[in-house]
Amino acid sequence: MRTLHRALRLPSARLSAVVLVVVAVAAVFGHWLTPLDPLAQDTAHALAGPGARHFLGTDSLGRDVLSRLIAGTSSSIVATLEAVGAALVVGVFLGLGSLWLGRGYEWASLRFVDSLQTLPYVVFVVAVVGVLGNGLTQAMLAIGLLYSPMFFRVSRAASLVLLRAQYVEAAELFGAGRLWILRTHLWSKILPTIAVTAAQASAECLLVVQSLSFLGIGVQPPAPTWGGMLADDLGFLAQQPWAPLIPAFTIMLTVGALNAIADAISDSADLPVDVSPTQPGSPQEVPDAVAVR
Amino acid sequence: MTVVAVPRSGAKGLPVAANRWLSGWARKVLRMSVTTATVFLITSFGTYALGALSKTNPAAAVLGETATPADIARMNHQFGLDRPLVVQYATWLGHAFTGDLGTSYFTSIPVSASIRQALPVDLGITGLAALFAVLIGGTAGIAAALNGGGRLDRSVTAVCSILSTIPGFVVGIVLIVMFSATLQILPAGGYVSFGANPVQWLRCMIMPSFALSLSLAAHIARQLRTSLVATLRENYIVGATVRGLSQRRVLLRHALRNAMGPTLGILMVGVPVLLSGSVPTERIFNLPGVALLTLQSSERHDVPVIQGTLLVTVATVLLCNLVLGALLARFTPQARR
Repeated sequence: MRTLHRALRLPSARLSAVVLVVVAVAAVFGHWLTPLDPLAQDTAHALAGPGARHFLGTDSLGRDVLSRLIAGTSSSIVATLEAVGAALVVGVFLGLGSLWLGRGYEWASLRFVDSLQTLPYVVFVVAVVGVLGNGLTQAMLAIGLLYSPMFFRVSRAASLVLLRAQYVEAAELFGAGRLWILRTHLWSKILPTIAVTAAQASAECLLVVQSLSFLGIGVQPPAPTWGGMLADDLGFLAQQPWAPLIPAFTIMLTVGALNAIADAISDSADLPVDVSPTQPGSPQEVPDAVAVR
Repeated sequence: MTVVAVPRSGAKGLPVAANRWLSGWARKVLRMSVTTATVFLITSFGTYALGALSKTNPAAAVLGETATPADIARMNHQFGLDRPLVVQYATWLGHAFTGDLGTSYFTSIPVSASIRQALPVDLGITGLAALFAVLIGGTAGIAAALNGGGRLDRSVTAVCSILSTIPGFVVGIVLIVMFSATLQILPAGGYVSFGANPVQWLRCMIMPSFALSLSLAAHIARQLRTSLVATLRENYIVGATVRGLSQRRVLLRHALRNAMGPTLGILMVGVPVLLSGSVPTERIFNLPGVALLTLQSSERHDVPVIQGTLLVTVATVLLCNLVLGALLARFTPQARR
């Protein structure tokens, strides 16, 4: 909590927080905030530029772009939260487990994570959806699985560093149990690291979700999504070359805000490991088999 | 006179390990190969098991609604779907090594034939994209690090952070608008094989591979800048400069070589990123590659093709990472320990 307060002193973090609050409001209350029906077609005014009635213009079927942008927020956000939530649960549990459940489990979980990291996100999700049927939940759980190595590595590396501290040793000498140490000494210290990773993963994931909805995976048309709007606009570049820029800019702003928040938290918190490269499965090497009983 | 204890070492100062039957590097590569093989077994089993989770019965899907249960059972037997999963997997993998990945449920074209036809497209765009990424990212990273804190450094950092917020396919769209719709100097899509017409091949490939390369280039630039800035502060760099070596020599022979490790690491992580990005890229530019094949068979729920393409994709990633890992262990001093 104190970390969050300190982070919010940075102007970039405040600005990003405002952007994220706006996005969150649009995601939760988007249904009531749209000025026009996002699905209502008005073919007489198709591909119109920005005007009084249609603030950001209309798409190829004459649907209001602003309304579709607002209505498309919730599916993007829900999808991202689903995937990152799944990744966090799987990754952190496996990561902490790899320190406590013995050598065999450690080896198996490391190889499992290695295997996940070789799978290209979009190709894997396309394959999963092709086999299990097209749906948002399947797609998001598949992405969540692929993002879990990020949380695995980070929570494992951070705990490895912290477990070497003398106060942990002292607690062990006094006969403290593993769970007690995890609860009292570890949890509150690895939480900021996990939070930064979650923000970075959300930014990455939002981009993957847009790529997927651009490909027609997950949310089905005519329901509006940012990536789907981009895909629609792609077909009408000759008539309206700037139209794709509106959804693209929305995506960029949200992702940029998430990245900035992640940077702000990692700058103002004293993290036990370096999480700076915003890259899935960052290449920093985690000690492969350090004996921590 | 005291005898200074010299660590036992080979003729050229190689560590003790060199005296064993394999050099340290070869043993490292061997260990990496074992890990790679393990990972390949896990992912290929996952790939095959994914097909078994499928809710649609392929026999029923192929035969249509008029099929009797006996027909379906016969078809299942023909596809080998009535045997235990592990047996099916072993058979499938064994056949895969001989180049037989089964046939498509829908077109009855052998999967390996489709993949063989599509693979050069992917190798072309991902290879070119990796090249672009190294060239662009490398130049930008080195320039930014030498400029340390100056205007160039800050603008490179800014461009990199903006690039990391753009979905990959948007760059492709913008390029089509600029070079195909407005300037009309490059084709908006399609593919000509390299053998048929190299110039036209390059014209088809240049936009998709450039679009694909940008996010990786940004990562490389950022990573190279960070590690190069850190390296340039090391004592041995200052020492080399004091000894009067030219700036170019210091940079190329001393600094860059040490800053290379993390960058090669990024490239290793970058291979799946490039292959992942190739799906929307191939869709936009209408390139008939493996990624597009996966997408099309995914829409038809054509399980054997999906399994085949996923297996080939994973094998590509693993092979690239093995080669990059071997290079990393060979050429970076800190990894040779």
